[in-house]
Amino acid sequence: MSERHAELLALIAQETNRILTEKGEAAVAITPDTAFLDGPLPFDSLDLATLIVALEGVTGKDPFRSGFRQFSKAGELAALYADA
Amino acid sequence: MKRHVIVTGGSRGLGLAIVTALLDAGYRVSTCSRTPGDALTALLEQTGEDLFWQQADIGDSDSTDRFIQAAVARFGVPWGLVNNAGIARDGILATLPLVEVDRLIQTNLTGSIQMARGVLRQMLGRAGGGRIINISSIIGQRGYTGLAAYAATKAGLDGLTRALAREVGRRQITVNSVAPGYLDTEMSGTLSAGQRDQIVRRTPLGRLGTAADVVPLILFLLGDAAGFITGQTLTIDGGIGC
Repeated sequence: MSERHAELLALIAQETNRILTEKGEAAVAITPDTAFLDGPLPFDSLDLATLIVALEGVTGKDPFRSGFRQFSKAGELAALYADA
Repeated sequence: MKRHVIVTGGSRGLGLAIVTALLDAGYRVSTCSRTPGDALTALLEQTGEDLFWQQADIGDSDSTDRFIQAAVARFGVPWGLVNNAGIARDGILATLPLVEVDRLIQTNLTGSIQMARGVLRQMLGRAGGGRIINISSIIGQRGYTGLAAYAATKAGLDGLTRALAREVGRRQITVNSVAPGYLDTEMSGTLSAGQRDQIVRRTPLGRLGTAADVVPLILFLLGDAAGFITGQTLTIDGGIGC
């Protein structure tokens, strides 16, 4: 994993846990294989949208500007921002 | 701290009445239009710091994005959005130029969706809920000869209201449509005298509506007391649709 990728993953973990905390959920360890939806993470589609908006606010990047791009795990999302 | 509400199309008609009432009720208001117009210019001069206006073309996402960013920079993340901007084009669909159909959809529907999207992106980053009000129309529910494309855009807004209410309800953001009947505003100026008479005859309360009939409901929906009302289309039409 590149340094940039690791930084983005850390940012994703930070923002994910901020959203979870605001929902009253416990913080969790986020790894590249952490799935946002349909897994043990107490995250729903609106939380994921909130995360994407927050990441754009911090990075100034929007990997989805030209259309939807498939991802399901934290590592895949970090890669999208790394490439944006 | 005063709550911030964004109102599109606030330079005249119902939009101007909403802006004025919100200022009177103690809100900070951001509004946009193609031009400010004399009445809004006067309001800007007399109101001072609680009212912000910027030129924007609803339906042009770059233009509305710039407006939202400027409004947030001025007054912070909005508590509410009133999607009021809209246009009407009267004409039998078979002969209504496609460019006018596109313009109706772009302004009334796409523009409102873009505004809701842009404002929601702000609201999601802040806990505490919010309000989105789409100004729909009884035409979207009942139809009217010569207004097929317009009716489609307004019915589309009601669909947006219902779906978005489900989407963002978990964040205590409510989404509702307010559907006025036939209002005595500039937009109804295209009605012929015969059409106006027919509408009045069919309205149980015996007159066209006015902006003053609609504004109180918008103020109510923006308030805390309306926090459990969402996904609804609330009609104010003097009973013509009953």
